[in-house]
Amino acid sequence: MIILPIYAISFALYIVRVLKGPTISDTVLAIDALSFETIAFMAIFAIFFKSLLLIPVAILLSVWTYALDVFVAKYLEKKEMGD
Amino acid sequence: MTSLSSPIDIALVIIGEVLVSIGVFCGLVAAIGMLRFPNFFVRLHAATVGSIGGAFVPIIGAALIALGSDFLDYKWLFFGSLIVTAVMVMLVSPAGSHALARATHRAKVAPVEPKAVDHLEEDEDNKKKEETANV
Repeated sequence: MIILPIYAISFALYIVRVLKGPTISDTVLAIDALSFETIAFMAIFAIFFKSLLLIPVAILLSVWTYALDVFVAKYLEKKEMGD
Repeated sequence: MTSLSSPIDIALVIIGEVLVSIGVFCGLVAAIGMLRFPNFFVRLHAATVGSIGGAFVPIIGAALIALGSDFLDYKWLFFGSLIVTAVMVMLVSPAGSHALARATHRAKVAPVEPKAVDHLEEDEDNKKKEETANV
């Protein structure tokens, strides 16, 4: 259980960068890293709580993170969201 | 751990706990780096530390803990789905950050600050010159 405050500190630091980020790329990069930390957190707590239902949620969260990256990259290159 | 578990299970649990500890440390270091680094292209390094060292390694460690533990009902199901999650993170994180960095460099949103040489910018300048010469 000692990992819980360390993960809480790193989540707080990522959220500071999400709110502060000067450009949109910094915000999206910090949200990426925050999502991957959340995936690892869910995987560890699925073992801790003996709950199998947390793991498909983690897989779907990784796929949504990739979708966010690709959408923002397409918006920055072509200034459109893909019709 | 009960006394009935074999030495292989104890070794798997210890290796898994060491991997989870490495992952937690990498996550904290990546968060500090994400806060302290100066611009976007330097922060990509902290994002890589946070996604591979901070997510891939502890998920593998959690899978090994699930395989060596004796308190779970479906431990092979836990092991397989955690390995699938780790492979998914390993595939998705470099592809996403590469696409984001390329788009940021093309749109010239963030400055390329500690720069020795920038071949991508030179290539784009040369392409632009050729297009204007052809027209």
